[in-house]
Amino acid sequence: MNLKNLTRGLALLSFAVALPMPALAHHSFAMFDNSRSITLHGKVSKYQWTNPHAYLEVDADQPGGGTKHYTLEMTSINMMSRGGWTSRTVKTGDVVTVVVAPLRDGQAGGLVLEVTLPDGRKMLPGVPNAQNYKRTS
Amino acid sequence: MASKALLIGASLAALASPALAEPDFTGSWERYPQAGETPDPKYAPTPIPNPPLKPEYLAKWKEHEAKLAARMAEGQPAGDNYVKCLPDGMPAMMQGMFPMEIFQRPEQINITQEAFNQTRRVYMNETLPRWDELDPTFYGRSVAHWEGETLVIETTGIKENVQFRWTPHSEGMKITERLHLLAPDILRNEIVVEDEYLAQPWTYSYTYRRMPGYKLLEYVCEDNREYVDETGMARLRIEER
Repeated sequence: MNLKNLTRGLALLSFAVALPMPALAHHSFAMFDNSRSITLHGKVSKYQWTNPHAYLEVDADQPGGGTKHYTLEMTSINMMSRGGWTSRTVKTGDVVTVVVAPLRDGQAGGLVLEVTLPDGRKMLPGVPNAQNYKRTS
Repeated sequence: MASKALLIGASLAALASPALAEPDFTGSWERYPQAGETPDPKYAPTPIPNPPLKPEYLAKWKEHEAKLAARMAEGQPAGDNYVKCLPDGMPAMMQGMFPMEIFQRPEQINITQEAFNQTRRVYMNETLPRWDELDPTFYGRSVAHWEGETLVIETTGIKENVQFRWTPHSEGMKITERLHLLAPDILRNEIVVEDEYLAQPWTYSYTYRRMPGYKLLEYVCEDNREYVDETGMARLRIEER
């Protein structure tokens, strides 16, 4: 086998191996637009530590003043626990910056891709295949 | 008298030795490889083939193929149970979505999947009832025995709506699992699904790796805000303000 074939063989092999990877989240994330992101900055009205998924309710600052309420979905709290989150990572009233894959249906909601906490720490909620979600904001 | 004692001793040793040969699977396990991890080829499971359904069932299954491909590409589990806050049931729960725990006693082995707190109970050295002697359930009835160092679990009595990868089956479906250690911390599960809906047995495998010290977390499906609308699209209930 020459080098070119070997490389191609390895590429095919890695593709085949990638397919049976364990799935890491629970529900379908197809309702979120993975071709763009929005960045929200605002005050947390609720950080809901529940399964099947956790939620972050945020009153996001609007460009012209005022706020708009967003319902933001995260992943299973079991996964988030293993990724370093706790039920106390975010508190009501915290001012956070959140990168979000917005809902496709235009409702004020989305999937959390990254949260910047008041102390500057950036937290990832462990969205499966997160690299497939474009950051455009 | 001495010879009798010797005989008893020998019988006890004979009784004890198969038990000693049985490996202990007790502990926490995770699916291997994890996402983004390159598996050791010695332990890598083979990709799961499509179910070898008979032609009369295959046409309907193909309607789900695109959905299945999309879920696989997303890294999501196939099936609609989770969207409805329902557990996988068998055999899907053995895909090891989240860590799982095996609790092994000589007469019974319990396997708990962390996602949805799913527990199946495996009764050792009992006879598998006929499927029509059971009320169908999510996990069915499981019995097992040791073949050397391999645990052979047989399961039947699964509800028809409890499906893996949208594969239809009859209530008579039988699942045979062969679990054995490939290494002290690597467990293989060879699965064979047999059913009258299948043209031939459906065979695939999983590999699990020990998670020393990991304690399974609770999982209660407490607030499911996702739902499937009348067009079949997954939607999110948002908090109105």
